[in-house]
Amino acid sequence: MKNIYVLAEHRNGTLRDTTWEALSAARSVSSQLGGEIVCLLLGNNVSSISEKLAQEFSKVVVVEDPNLETFNSDAMTQTLSTILKDESDYLLLMGNSNSVIDLAPGLSVVLDAALATDCFGFEVSEGQLLALRQIYSYKINALVSFKNCDKIVVTLRSGSFSFTPAGQASGTIEKRDSPLASAKLRKTFVSYEEAEKGDVDISSAEIIVSIGRGIGDEPDMDMYQSLADTVGGVLACSRPIVDKNLLPKYHQVGTSGIEVKPKIYLALGISGAFQHVGGIKGSPLIMAVNKDPRAPIFRVAQYGVVGDINEIVPALEEKIKELKG
Amino acid sequence: MKIIACMKWIPDTSEAELSIASGGKDIKKDDLDYDLNDWDRFAIEEAVQLKEKYEGAVTVVSVAPEDAEEMLRECLARGADEAFQIWNDSFEGSDGFVVAKALAEFIKKRPFDLVLTGTLAEDDGGGQVGGMLAAMLGVPSATLVSRIEISDGKAKFRRELEGGLYENVEMGLPAVISVATGLNEPRFVSIRAVRKVASVDIPTVDLDELGMNENQVGMEGSKIVIEKVYLPPEGEGAEIIKGSTEEAAARLAEILKEKGVL
Ligand SMILES: Cc1cc2nc3c(=O)[nH]c(=O)nc-3n(C[C@H](O)[C@H](O)[C@H](O)COP(=O)(O)OP(=O)(O)OC[C@H]3O[C@@H](n4cnc5c(N)ncnc54)[C@H](O)[C@@H]3O)c2cc1C
Ligand SMILES: Nc1ncnc2c1ncn2[C@@H]1O[C@H](COP(=O)(O)O)[C@@H](O)[C@H]1O
Repeated sequence: MKNIYVLAEHRNGTLRDTTWEALSAARSVSSQLGGEIVCLLLGNNVSSISEKLAQEFSKVVVVEDPNLETFNSDAMTQTLSTILKDESDYLLLMGNSNSVIDLAPGLSVVLDAALATDCFGFEVSEGQLLALRQIYSYKINALVSFKNCDKIVVTLRSGSFSFTPAGQASGTIEKRDSPLASAKLRKTFVSYEEAEKGDVDISSAEIIVSIGRGIGDEPDMDMYQSLADTVGGVLACSRPIVDKNLLPKYHQVGTSGIEVKPKIYLALGISGAFQHVGGIKGSPLIMAVNKDPRAPIFRVAQYGVVGDINEIVPALEEKIKELKG
Repeated sequence: MKIIACMKWIPDTSEAELSIASGGKDIKKDDLDYDLNDWDRFAIEEAVQLKEKYEGAVTVVSVAPEDAEEMLRECLARGADEAFQIWNDSFEGSDGFVVAKALAEFIKKRPFDLVLTGTLAEDDGGGQVGGMLAAMLGVPSATLVSRIEISDGKAKFRRELEGGLYENVEMGLPAVISVATGLNEPRFVSIRAVRKVASVDIPTVDLDELGMNENQVGMEGSKIVIEKVYLPPEGEGAEIIKGSTEEAAARLAEILKEKGVL
């Protein structure tokens, strides 16, 4: 491998952790296949960010342009394809963030590169890079190869590669001209918008009773609310529950919802997709009830019951009432 | 407004017990039920709602084998005006790139203002076909879109970022928009609505009509290849509480008590 590029991701002047995770992944690939690790920083007025990056990367390439102020996938694609157009034998790593989800697929076509999204590991076999990802509702691991493609784009699942900035390097910072000056952007950023806030704040709750798609199409919502009340907790949920308008968005736990840090998290009929458990911080005691013994939630839970929530939930509430006396 | 919605036919794996097929490169699918990818149910609903609001027509298309016809028919019942099925057995084993290419070749031949897709399919978890398709068509695209308005020949939309943050963005048409779940409420499809479209012809489009050949599809045309699939190792995981419902509930309650919660 000649080069391993890492796209630095930042928002409102702050680097995002996905950048460091991608650096960690880059180092692990480089240690096996070689390749110079180069950080690509696209933004506007990003000198302080570039200095921070140069403390970890030996080389940082910077392009500044007002159109790169926010993560505009169109501006990013045009800039990255200019930087990479004459390159080959490279790997481009980016975090699989909601911004990168907007960028990577189109970019891979423009670069004529092979793309694997949402990867959480790498292997090397006979000098070829293989990436590990999950398929079929995140229940099956798949090892994928890139045939003999010498341009590879991989996006990384957050939390899969750990890295703590050490501040040891003194890398070079190389500025490049923006190719966007004359180009016409096909997309324009208008504004940020915050999700509506509600009467409950699940982010500060100590006990969370959380419901998922396993509650079925005609759920008895009172039953779950009643359990939450009995344990003195709040009711939260996975994304499909909000999608079905069963609870407002400010009850949604997960990467695109709210980060919670309770002491106890009771997951009822939740499969445990990483975007969901990614919203559960501070390693609470997770108890899960799910009828599928292979549900990923049982990997992160300390206690699990394989069973039907329609039966367990009323029984559990009874027992709690008994114990409370 | 001419809208094309791309629909994926996938095995429902969320609750099924999965096992690995011989050869170790895929799961056994014989016993699985197939259905429309959940994200695409929101895409077809959005297509129909946009048509109802701004007038026009909705075309649905899927790269899928014969059985998927029932899904396309359901889309007609949901309000699509016409449906096409792209298939040739050599599509078996195709990656997202190949699927995007086939869709692009199909769409190139018909004028459109907007292509709608889901952001992600739950079988391959790829989240790539929408963006790739847009690049192949040479039009802009956006993913995780949770609100769409059309005015002044532009799409004005909101897309989802992390942690309850959204961004509002504008984009010229034609374009590809990949929707997020939850942006609308997919309508209920009555049996009557399905009956009404029972005799609508759903043409199958073959490779030659797309100007493609067998080497460009399937594993051969793909850029990534699945070498091996396996069930994740059991690992640490939860202590599974055994026993009857009563016993399990009692144990959970005790744990809560031990943790000083009650
Ligand atoms: C960019 C992006 C962002 C996302 N953000 C979020 C987010 O913030 N939060 C979030 O939650 N998801 C998010 N998701 C979606 C996520 O990938 C999953 O699709 C979602 O978390 C699944 O929700 P679920 O577990 O309720 O449903 P499913 O995955 O369908 O799981 C339902 C579970 O219920 C079990 N079950 C069914 N019936 C019963 C019963 N009677 N008793 C017991 N168990 C039963 C099943 O075995 C299954 O495991 C995001 C996805 C993407 C792509
Ligand atoms: N075979 C297919 N036929 C039609 N549309 C598809 C197909 N595969 C993917 N798509 C569309 O692309 C979206 C993302 O799929 P994927 O890239 O597989 O995660 C889906 O939600 C569909 O809208």
